[in-house]
Amino acid sequence: MAAAATAAAVVPSSSKTETYTDTKRKDDIRQANISAARAVADAVRTSLGPKGLDKMISSASDNSVIITNDGATILNHLNPLQPAAKMLVDLSKSQDSAAGDGTTTVVVVAGSLLRHCSSLLSSGIHPTVISDALHKTSLKAVDILTAMSVPVELSDRESLIKSASTSLNSKVVSQYSSLLAPLAVDAVLSVVDPQKPDLVDLRDIKIVKKLGGTVDDTEMVKGLVFDKKVSHAAGGPTRVENAKIAVIQFQISPPKTDIEQSIIVSDYSQMDRILKEERNYILGMIKKIKATGCNVLLIQKSILRDAVTDLSLHYLAKAKILVVKDVEREDIEFITKTLNCLPIANIEHFRVEKLGHADLVEEVSLGSGEGKVVKITGIKDMGRTTTVLVRGSNQLVLDEADRSLHDALCVVRCLVNKRFLIAGGGAPEIELSRQLGAWSKVLHGMEGFCVKSFAEALEVIPYTLAENAGLNPIAIVTELRNRHAQGEINAGINVRKGQITNILEENVVQPLLVSTSAIMLATECVRMILKIDDIVTVR
Amino acid sequence: MAVEKILKDDASEEKGERARMASFIGAMAIADLVKTTLGPKGMDKILQSTGRGQLVTVTNDGATILKSLHIDNPAAKVLVDISKVQDDEVGDGTTSVVVLAGELLREAEKLVNSKIHPMTIISGYRMAADAARNALLQKVVDNKEDAEKFRSDLMKIAMTTLSSKILSQDKEHFAQLAVDAVMRLKGSTNLEAIQIIKKPGGSLKDSFLDEGFILDKKIGIGQPKRIENAKILVANTAMDTDKVKIYGARVRVDSMSKVAEIEAAEKQKMREKVQKIIGHGINCFINRQLIYNFPEELFADAGILAIEHADFDGIERLALVTGGEIASTFDNPESVKLGHCKLIEEIMIGEDKLIHFSGCEMGQACTIVLRGASQHVLDEADRSLHDALCVLSQTVNDSRVLLGGGWPEMIMAKEVDELARKTPGKKSLAIEAFSKSLLAIPTIIADNAGLDSAELVAQLRAEHHREGCNAGIDVITGSVGDMAALGISESFKVKQAVLLSATEAAEMILRVDEIITCAPRRREDRM
Repeated sequence: MAAAATAAAVVPSSSKTETYTDTKRKDDIRQANISAARAVADAVRTSLGPKGLDKMISSASDNSVIITNDGATILNHLNPLQPAAKMLVDLSKSQDSAAGDGTTTVVVVAGSLLRHCSSLLSSGIHPTVISDALHKTSLKAVDILTAMSVPVELSDRESLIKSASTSLNSKVVSQYSSLLAPLAVDAVLSVVDPQKPDLVDLRDIKIVKKLGGTVDDTEMVKGLVFDKKVSHAAGGPTRVENAKIAVIQFQISPPKTDIEQSIIVSDYSQMDRILKEERNYILGMIKKIKATGCNVLLIQKSILRDAVTDLSLHYLAKAKILVVKDVEREDIEFITKTLNCLPIANIEHFRVEKLGHADLVEEVSLGSGEGKVVKITGIKDMGRTTTVLVRGSNQLVLDEADRSLHDALCVVRCLVNKRFLIAGGGAPEIELSRQLGAWSKVLHGMEGFCVKSFAEALEVIPYTLAENAGLNPIAIVTELRNRHAQGEINAGINVRKGQITNILEENVVQPLLVSTSAIMLATECVRMILKIDDIVTVR
Repeated sequence: MAVEKILKDDASEEKGERARMASFIGAMAIADLVKTTLGPKGMDKILQSTGRGQLVTVTNDGATILKSLHIDNPAAKVLVDISKVQDDEVGDGTTSVVVLAGELLREAEKLVNSKIHPMTIISGYRMAADAARNALLQKVVDNKEDAEKFRSDLMKIAMTTLSSKILSQDKEHFAQLAVDAVMRLKGSTNLEAIQIIKKPGGSLKDSFLDEGFILDKKIGIGQPKRIENAKILVANTAMDTDKVKIYGARVRVDSMSKVAEIEAAEKQKMREKVQKIIGHGINCFINRQLIYNFPEELFADAGILAIEHADFDGIERLALVTGGEIASTFDNPESVKLGHCKLIEEIMIGEDKLIHFSGCEMGQACTIVLRGASQHVLDEADRSLHDALCVLSQTVNDSRVLLGGGWPEMIMAKEVDELARKTPGKKSLAIEAFSKSLLAIPTIIADNAGLDSAELVAQLRAEHHREGCNAGIDVITGSVGDMAALGISESFKVKQAVLLSATEAAEMILRVDEIITCAPRRREDRM
């Protein structure tokens, strides 16, 4: 957090709009922006790579604590004041949405590029020249990366698992990567629509987090999981085989109108009658439900009135109908898609054809305590959706497992979108640096000078990887350069062994999209920061 | 004895020299603030909001910067206003107009200091502006007749406008987009028919032009995802139960079954309303307000695609492009105009699902989908593209075209200089000053690019002494180049607007000799 404090400290004194701006001030603003952005980059630098360390984030507002090494999450909570530092936070967010992984890498690369930019600036090169050179470099870099990549087929499950585990290896849950990686791959592959093989909608994968057990117990469920108990009054079923499931958007409770109403009771017998009527009303509804053969009800949450009352639960239990209440409206689409049924908004429309079918609906208790979930499995004509039930021994581990799994899912999604793999472990960066360095020699003028500098900037990734792993970064990077110069383009840092090996053979691979988007986004952000010459405070 | 007090307590006045100084300094400060954003190598500014959320905007658009400033100086406000007017009228040149006005005032200040009456300066400026405009008029090129050439003119203008913006790296791609979109309008300047949708993700190159209309909404559950030959009813109506709009209206009943009856009656009313809507013979229903679960299901049963909660902007545009009108009562199906389009379908852009209407009644409608790394980039891209679209649509109407890169300023300066030499009297000094101010624009462009401005402008002036010269500043190579060969063009209308409004603004500020600050209206004490 020390870095965050520095980031906050460099916030420049708010500029008055009517002050005269001279050239001196322009440089100051740019330098202030660059150093603020670099402070942010330094804050996440140590969490890069498999031996990267975690950060503990304690939030001042509600005293909650988060432990993570996911760059996007750290930066999200950093909340810097300085505008340029904010742009770096946004950068990591964009990488998160574009590729899902590499959120730390992109910030570290941007920080390093900025450092080299500031030395270029101080040697008197015009910012737009640097910016143009940077753009050229990024295009060239993407070409080089694409040339390095290895195509992968979706049927090649092994390779997919390898890249998912590379992403997982740098997380808290790395010891479970053998479990989570195949799980992520299977989950994504199960939602790929054969008709649109390039698109994966991660919203079709629902992650349900449940405290208790260990991460080992995480499982993929072909069906639905609700993090809820079955609502039942005495004697209601908790397990239904051969279920007919209805998703209802109305409530099984005494009637309530939109217009204000009150029932006026003048004597005791009337009160009895009203109670009886209420019972009849509910009973009538339940009979209609029962008549269709429905035996599982999923009830949408209602803000206007209780979804079910004790009375209706009692009758439902008698009718042997399993009830899950308080289903969120946003989830309805996912549920209906999975169950292949239609939501029912009115009792009058309760028809058989709107029901979904499943082999088994049951309440499963997860260990002791209150951990209970409802599982629906064996769904007939199931939509292309999947649920992953994540377990963890405490909330912090659980959240981190969720984030890690999300990253792994994104990695697999990237591979579905763009089916190329590239080596990990700093190999692509060193290769980029080498090839860009060679390219810079054939360029004319200032451009060559700038490109050379950016080529060096990219070495920050292997340097940081080695540093975080406790290796001698200078020795490692020099050795890497040497190996690459001899043509071993896949030589990278094997952090586990602490030496340089052919990283493809070590199964450390990542999707091409992660690397290319990191380079593209980082350069775009750096160019934007470079082109700024003033900060104006406005309303 | 002097009158002690004419004005109220809190009001203040500044007179004569002081007032003039205050206006000059204010206007020049504003011009200096935005002048570094001028030209293809201009820099951006961060606008940091002091309000809630501390929003950060990165921009290079003069109008956007000026619009967001806190300004206290009245003269500075005049400049902000002319930039705003320029933005509304022609869309581009918002920075140039402020910079030119600032320069005119800077020169005027020198003249005033050497004891020349402001009115003399003003009349000199007027003559000079006329001469400059005539010089431009002589040099304009009009390619309206030749469709091929006209299109290439448009492309050039779009690229010139975009080259100073964030889109500069992909300017060809975007110029193409903008020209295609504007050509679809067939001469109308109604930019509302061009919708710009911003979707984070991907890169700027992935942006595309789509014929038809895209609505960023979801289709209701269980409804058809694809409709051909759609008949669309656009409505703004509440789809929950109709309420008695009397505060505190309540019903008293004496049994539960009665309550159930009322509930059923409410449901029935909803159903009737839905039936009425269905009775229009539609297969797509779009409402501005929420459609609740119950009507949604009814629509799904009838096989009608229902879209809820489309925002105001969305439905108005939709009504415009599909040729329908927004309905809020459904009793007379025959009097409601339905919208039509060939196909409605769900498409995926990036990660989001959107609804795409193609083959709309109004053929001009189109949508530009912008993709970009972050929201900052997208917002700036949107502003840049908007500028380009404005300029293009203006050019379609007034197809006179000039070269860019400081060329028009040089032409005008030369002509104005000639005039100065011919004019007797003190006015000639003012005319000379005008020409100097015009030269400031190429000087600033060169300065921003980090070039030797004095050298370049001197070279340019020498070049322009030849007749029919196309020389301007080529910022990329940092030398004097042939603007026609480089394909740098500007719209005549923009240049003319810059020239005239800058002169007028300068004139207005010059005329000022007293600033009266009114006393703030006191808040009435209610105690």
